[in-house]
Amino acid sequence: MKSDVAPALANGPAVIPTDMPTSNRPMNMGQSMNDNTSRLDGIAKITGSAKYSSDMQLPNAVYARFVRCPFGAASLESFDDAAARNVTGVIEIEITPKACQYNGQPVGHVVGDSPIAVDRALKALKLNWKKAAVKTTIADTAKVEVPQGSVDGADVTVAAVYSTPVQTHSSLETHGGVVDHKGDRATVYASTQGTFSVRDGFGDALNLKTSEFEVICEYIGGGFGSKLGGPGKELMLAAKLSQQLKRPAYVMCNRAEEHLDTGNRPSSVTSVRIGLKKDGSVVGGEVQTYGGVGVATGGGGCNVPSGRYTFANVNKKHEDVSFNAGGPRAFRAPGRPQGAFAEELMLDEAAAKLGMDPLDLKRKLAADDVYRAMMEQGAKLIGWSDRKANGSQKSVMRTGYGLGVAGWGSASPGGNAEVVIHQDGSVESRTGTQDIGTGQRTTMAICCADAIGIPLNLVTVKIGRSTLPVGPGSGGSVTSPTTAPTMMNAAAQARDKLFEVLAKQGGDNAADFSMKDGAVLKRGEKFLSWKDACARLPADGVMGSASTGDRGKGDSQGVQFVKVVVDCETGIIHPKHVIAIQSCGRVICRKTAESQIIGGVIQGLSYGMFENKILDRNVGAMVNPNFEWYKILGPCEMPHIEPVLWAHGQTGVKALGEPPTIPTSGALACAVFNAIGAPVRHLPLTPDKVLAALEGAGA
Amino acid sequence: MNSFAIAQPKSFSDASEMLKDKKYSLAVVKAGGIDLIDLLKEGLIAPDVLIDVRRLHGTKELVAASESEVTIDATATLADIASSSAIREAAPVLAQAVEGAASPAVRNSATAAGNLLQRPRCWYFRNEQFNCLKKGGPTCFAIEGENRYHAIFGDGPCHIVHPSNLAPALLVCDATIHLSGAEQPSIPIRYLYHTPDKGVRSESNLSPGAVITHITCKPAKASGFYAIKEKQSFDWPVVAAAVALELNGTVITKAVVCAGAVAPIPWELRNVANALRGVDLADDAALTKACSGAAAGAKPMSENAYKMKLLPVAVKRAVLIAAGRKAEVES
Repeated sequence: MKSDVAPALANGPAVIPTDMPTSNRPMNMGQSMNDNTSRLDGIAKITGSAKYSSDMQLPNAVYARFVRCPFGAASLESFDDAAARNVTGVIEIEITPKACQYNGQPVGHVVGDSPIAVDRALKALKLNWKKAAVKTTIADTAKVEVPQGSVDGADVTVAAVYSTPVQTHSSLETHGGVVDHKGDRATVYASTQGTFSVRDGFGDALNLKTSEFEVICEYIGGGFGSKLGGPGKELMLAAKLSQQLKRPAYVMCNRAEEHLDTGNRPSSVTSVRIGLKKDGSVVGGEVQTYGGVGVATGGGGCNVPSGRYTFANVNKKHEDVSFNAGGPRAFRAPGRPQGAFAEELMLDEAAAKLGMDPLDLKRKLAADDVYRAMMEQGAKLIGWSDRKANGSQKSVMRTGYGLGVAGWGSASPGGNAEVVIHQDGSVESRTGTQDIGTGQRTTMAICCADAIGIPLNLVTVKIGRSTLPVGPGSGGSVTSPTTAPTMMNAAAQARDKLFEVLAKQGGDNAADFSMKDGAVLKRGEKFLSWKDACARLPADGVMGSASTGDRGKGDSQGVQFVKVVVDCETGIIHPKHVIAIQSCGRVICRKTAESQIIGGVIQGLSYGMFENKILDRNVGAMVNPNFEWYKILGPCEMPHIEPVLWAHGQTGVKALGEPPTIPTSGALACAVFNAIGAPVRHLPLTPDKVLAALEGAGA
Repeated sequence: MNSFAIAQPKSFSDASEMLKDKKYSLAVVKAGGIDLIDLLKEGLIAPDVLIDVRRLHGTKELVAASESEVTIDATATLADIASSSAIREAAPVLAQAVEGAASPAVRNSATAAGNLLQRPRCWYFRNEQFNCLKKGGPTCFAIEGENRYHAIFGDGPCHIVHPSNLAPALLVCDATIHLSGAEQPSIPIRYLYHTPDKGVRSESNLSPGAVITHITCKPAKASGFYAIKEKQSFDWPVVAAAVALELNGTVITKAVVCAGAVAPIPWELRNVANALRGVDLADDAALTKACSGAAAGAKPMSENAYKMKLLPVAVKRAVLIAAGRKAEVES
């Protein structure tokens, strides 16, 4: 790294290093719109000057937390809140006895002058719970059978059951926010992926017109799908309290509540019987999947077959299974990683039975030539030719290779953007969409500067406010595809309005003007510097606005290769290298794009190796509602991750957020299978399971 | 969390006096504060005073080693121990035991004495919602519940695993824990802890008011530690082993072996120590065989039999490290 961040910190957040080299593979697509710019708000984030909703501890605020069911199934029969009401600083306690169906289900709330008062009051409550029997897993409810027999006309049949655990979103910033209601107006600080869906979701809860309040989310500490939609129970409570008490109300979950009651990636079971011919073609079979949706009744989809491989006549059935746990919410590529895990490992098992290299089988079955080309390239980069046959290694440390594929469609829900060019030459880029962490501020600045033809540092980006032009929720990888072309249109329109002003003043045509090297040309000759040109604007500058742009075409695709070393005496997996090839259409900012891919891989490896919401089987309480026992990939597990951006005929800006996390856990499981010679069919791939598989393989 | 006072004693004996002072309903020693903060947040203790010993020292140097003795101050941090070249030379097992513990931030704050006296990490004990045996309740929830990280040795009735890595390492060095305010001035580490059947509410045998001032042990140049952790960053071992050897060339003439994370106390494996005596380290098969009995006598719970496979591996790797063959156990 050439830039030294330390002096930048010492001098405050003004200096943004722009010359940090990216270390990764060159794209096969030439230049991105911007190869070198680092996240514009990176310094603000690491120095703490960026204020998140959870930082909004306003003067005279009240704090509230929910009273929650500590068990998987229990009825609150009675309670005694006398001691809790006596705690200094407690303002209100409201509890409604009822039967609860999951650990974390709210039965009321406690409000106080400070977080500690609320905490003390919660501890002082005497709650009389009557526990009931619980179901905590898919297997507790559904009868999952291992399919038997071979498929008609097949040379080999894979019949197996695969499963994945519940993964919680584990956003660093928890759910909730602050409502500051002033009677005739209000400000809402939300930790949300949908600034406008929060605005619209309040309904009558604020007793204000939409025009009378503002939702603000300038920064968000992670969401991964769990912060889509309306205000949520946390902000709804804050809305009620702020009106009732005429004080700002702060309601944020703590870490345990975050694990218990803010959604998850549901568990899955995939039961497969699939038959293949000697040449690798699939002749048919059945796939029965189950989604473990807790107290919800849907949302447990498990995307297998994914459509990324060509399977003939495979019957698919799915069932969502309810039990005593919090329900799912959208989670980065909902249903896909679960399905990809089963699909990739199942194909590697088939390849082993056929005596085929799984790369050859997957190349053959890939539904698209783009996947084949990516597989070719990725195999070279990971060193697939060094791969040894499944189970052929006898050493303690065994190396394995695996691959998986990903795909994501294209959608643009629509949204608006405005660009104002001011008299002093500064440019304001406005869109209300929040930055879930993908680099929205940075990409908007790049789009704006690029469309006008000026340096990035002239652009100030305003995002994350419901009073700005409406923008999409950050879900389904739609934000950049929607906002980038719109922002470019708005910027180009503002530039053209500037040209019109210049044309009018000199009796020229707007078409005579153009931009080059940050200066204004007239009929191809340098005419004015940007600053001098803007000085000719009226006092309120000029504004361009747009509600659409060239959305382009084509889906995003990816292939990932994972190399691991497995310690066959301990069952510990050491990920060593990941090649993550991913297409996303036009790359706006190379570094934030690569960061999305790297983040997806990390989340996928973490899902594959560690993450697991564990409920006590007897009382249904989560035993690991923390980051000590709910384990997440750490720095020592981090392999060398190489993102490779790829182009294949997509146009426009395309999906990138979801796809890079889809194939990783499947590719990891295939790599482990290759190393140890036995499949581990149940995530997470913990040492106990790896050792059990090794024992089964007689290794 | 309740309000509390912080007292700053001038010496360890002052600290002992404060601990015994009847005017406090619960006085608790604070050194690095790592486990203490957890216990406060989890609502497991509600002290009215913290006796801050962080700046007190029981010895001249935080860590020191001579040909005859290794000394560790009670308030030496895990980082002090891990980074001491004197300790690495005299008793490498001690440095190895703590060098990978928790995270760099924790190692820079956590102290030797605090590490030895930290409470167990059992997820039922640490969760306020479970009124378990150790908290005065009727049941050990691990028996019928989620016990993948629990004990494979010991007869209960509580099935915690002892959390300190340093304790088994000190045990194989035959360490002595020096005390202030106790009936006796010191206690061998072998007798520092008791099994749950001897009192389930506590883990150590220290009398009320006793504080650790420093730790001494014999040098153990041929010693090693190996922890098997699911996660290599910031995780607790699922199994750990500390070994001290005496060697005649490549032949083991004496061994002391102690396992961590498998029993409610540091679990000395005398059978393995006996089996190791006479083994030539050049004979890998003989070494493997000698270590293979490490899990003998274990009584696994429903979900943790895998630890029985891991324990012989950890012991063998600790032996190889003790013999200076660390490179062979790295991935």
